[in-house]
Amino acid sequence: MRLLICIKQVPDSTTRVKVAPDGTSIVTDGITWSISPYDEYAIELALEQKDNAADTVVSVISVGGPRTKDALRQALAMGCDDATLVTGEGADTLGPLGIANALKSAIDELKPDLVLCGKQASDDDQGFVGPALAEALGWPHVAVVTKVAPSAAGTEIWKEVEGGHEVWKASGAAVLTVQKSEKEPRYPSLPGIMKAKKKEIPERPVTGVEDPVTIEIVKLEPPPARGGGKIFKDGDVKAHAAALATLLRDEAKVL
Amino acid sequence: MDFDVPEELLLLKRTVREFVEGRLQPIEKQVEDDDKIPDAILKEMGALGFFGLPFPEEYGGVGAGDLGYCVALEEFGRTSAAFSNLIGAHTAIGSMSIYLGGTEAQKKQYLPDLTAGKKIAAFSLTEPSSGSDAASIQTSAKKQGDRWILNGTKIWVTNGPIADVVVVYAANDRTLGARGGITAFIVEKGYTGFRVGKVDDKMGLRGSYTGELVFEDCEVPEENVLGGTVGSGFRTALGALDIGRISLAAGAVGSSQHLLELAIAHSKRRVQFGKPIAVNQAIQWMLADSAVEIHAARLMVYDAAAKMDRGTRASTEAAMVKVFASEMAGRVVDRVMQIHGGMGYMKESPVERAYRDARILRIYEGTSEVQRMIIAEELLKA
Ligand SMILES: Cc1cc2nc3c(=O)[nH]c(=O)nc-3n(C[C@H](O)[C@H](O)[C@H](O)COP(=O)(O)OP(=O)(O)OC[C@H]3O[C@@H](n4cnc5c(N)ncnc54)[C@H](O)[C@@H]3O)c2cc1C
Ligand SMILES: Cc1cc2nc3c(=O)[nH]c(=O)nc-3n(C[C@H](O)[C@H](O)[C@H](O)COP(=O)(O)OP(=O)(O)OC[C@H]3O[C@@H](n4cnc5c(N)ncnc54)[C@H](O)[C@@H]3O)c2cc1C
Repeated sequence: MRLLICIKQVPDSTTRVKVAPDGTSIVTDGITWSISPYDEYAIELALEQKDNAADTVVSVISVGGPRTKDALRQALAMGCDDATLVTGEGADTLGPLGIANALKSAIDELKPDLVLCGKQASDDDQGFVGPALAEALGWPHVAVVTKVAPSAAGTEIWKEVEGGHEVWKASGAAVLTVQKSEKEPRYPSLPGIMKAKKKEIPERPVTGVEDPVTIEIVKLEPPPARGGGKIFKDGDVKAHAAALATLLRDEAKVL
Repeated sequence: MDFDVPEELLLLKRTVREFVEGRLQPIEKQVEDDDKIPDAILKEMGALGFFGLPFPEEYGGVGAGDLGYCVALEEFGRTSAAFSNLIGAHTAIGSMSIYLGGTEAQKKQYLPDLTAGKKIAAFSLTEPSSGSDAASIQTSAKKQGDRWILNGTKIWVTNGPIADVVVVYAANDRTLGARGGITAFIVEKGYTGFRVGKVDDKMGLRGSYTGELVFEDCEVPEENVLGGTVGSGFRTALGALDIGRISLAAGAVGSSQHLLELAIAHSKRRVQFGKPIAVNQAIQWMLADSAVEIHAARLMVYDAAAKMDRGTRASTEAAMVKVFASEMAGRVVDRVMQIHGGMGYMKESPVERAYRDARILRIYEGTSEVQRMIIAEELLKA
């Protein structure tokens, strides 16, 4: 089986995001970039297939500028077999539909059996590219996937639903968007890192991206600074407790 | 000239950092209290390649070179010293002795299991009557037919109590001393006449084991003479100690950096006399002095390790970085405890553990005095 994971490079979750002076973007200087966490779960899910069946080929692909190669290398270091960078002028400013179309032209050639995406990227949380890619490819899409397993008639797909999961079956190619699951993504192995360093990452030009929908960010604002909180000091403990309960109910509305 | 971690090692550094923060820091108190690293963690570390960092891929190693190894150990410095101590003794002096001094057949036989962490190595030189004066070892090696017979007692062998493979240095001819009189042997757990003696109860380094190894007519096959040559053991030991000293310094840098970060955070948070203690110059200067020394030590580590990777001998640099970084670590942890006040003295604080763990750095792999001897000898020669 050949699995392809579409990954996005995003600011690491520990990054303190600052709005840039233009008010529509963030300051990217000094940011540590990572693979978007749900994409890492997708990689883990694919690598588990490889653990179980050695002839599984796991590929990764990303659309972006030169630094996106770091994310692809990290995926190689985790154990993926090959990586492709779709790049060129404007690659890092494409909207989600443009990215889906750029991925589609690559996938038409790479011909994987299954395409996996994270269910959403951790930076813009749009959750758009996966379903849009399925639409562009004309493939079925299954969302919030936590597990896949090969079966006689194709692939069994575990899909999260309220309070449990459903098992779906795909008889042919499909796009799965992957949810966080219990199995944490593996660490890249150190030999894997050194090997990934030497691996060639082929580049493909961005093609077929005409994007009928233009999404423009009008304004970015940091959330308001948090207030100082209330501290009950000294005095009658019982009265404090009563006051606290009232505040939790009426002000914080958590009771 | 570029003094930063090279681009290709950044992902390695980051991965080790994430592993240390994600897996090791959460259990460092447990390792301390139980005096044991959980087996599952050791297995995971082995699978990720943590036991074969500097060695080439052909022996199952990571191929990260000495610099890559030091960069990783710097990150391991950020948690309980049990981890860097285990890895250090296993890699830089135990396995490294085989890598530097072994025949191709010995390297092929032993290194793959060692680099994979399936077997643990130790380096055994010190004896009750031979510490700094390592060339005066008494453990004897006598040839008998196709085997060698070892007799003697080794002490303070890091990993000794758990090791599967021990590189043992013994005297084949006491009259010859360092040049020609000392031979290294690869001894496996289970060899007749070899046993683990007392396991030491140490001031720090809890979770890492150090102990006595006893050789009573211990039989070692001829093919386990390291490098197949009698009398060349001392050179191998010194070669392994070079990288041992540099990587020990790398751990000291990482540990000191981590402690400095703790002190910075504490000094901003802790309010006395109505303001954070960080606003006092007395505190600021302790932070600044620590940052200066850590920076200097880090550059010394990278320089010495990069020299080794280029194939340049760096024994003097190794001695310099060892003495500087280990003494620096002592000063930094002392300041960091001072900044933490009473809290730093308590077992619940990682600073208390770090204070005990830092002390050994000036003693093993050659005391500070021995490093100065090495440096001075170089300065005064010819
Ligand atoms: C926790 C721990 C782990 C260890 N792990 C290992 C290991 O894995 N393998 C191994 O082989 N050994 C190991 N050792 C031994 C270690 O390398 C020795 O302790 C060290 O080399 C010092 O030797 P010594 O303790 O006998 O001190 P001594 O040599 O007795 O020195 C005592 C003091 O005298 C000073 N001194 C000695 N000679 C001179 C001189 N000529 N001029 C000035 N001062 C001098 C020393 O610097 C020191 O301050 C370990 C020790 C410890 C404590
Ligand atoms: C084992 C132990 C036993 C103790 N026994 C007792 C006891 O019996 N009774 C009792 O009452 N207390 C006791 N103490 C508390 C002890 O007296 C305090 O720990 C000590 O006074 C320091 O206070 P602190 O720990 O809160 O540190 P902090 O006051 O928070 O100081 C932290 C650091 O900031 C520095 N600092 C603070 N203010 C300034 C400033 N203005 N300028 C420059 N530097 C500054 C300090 O010198 C220190 O380095 C004990 C503590 C310990 C650890």
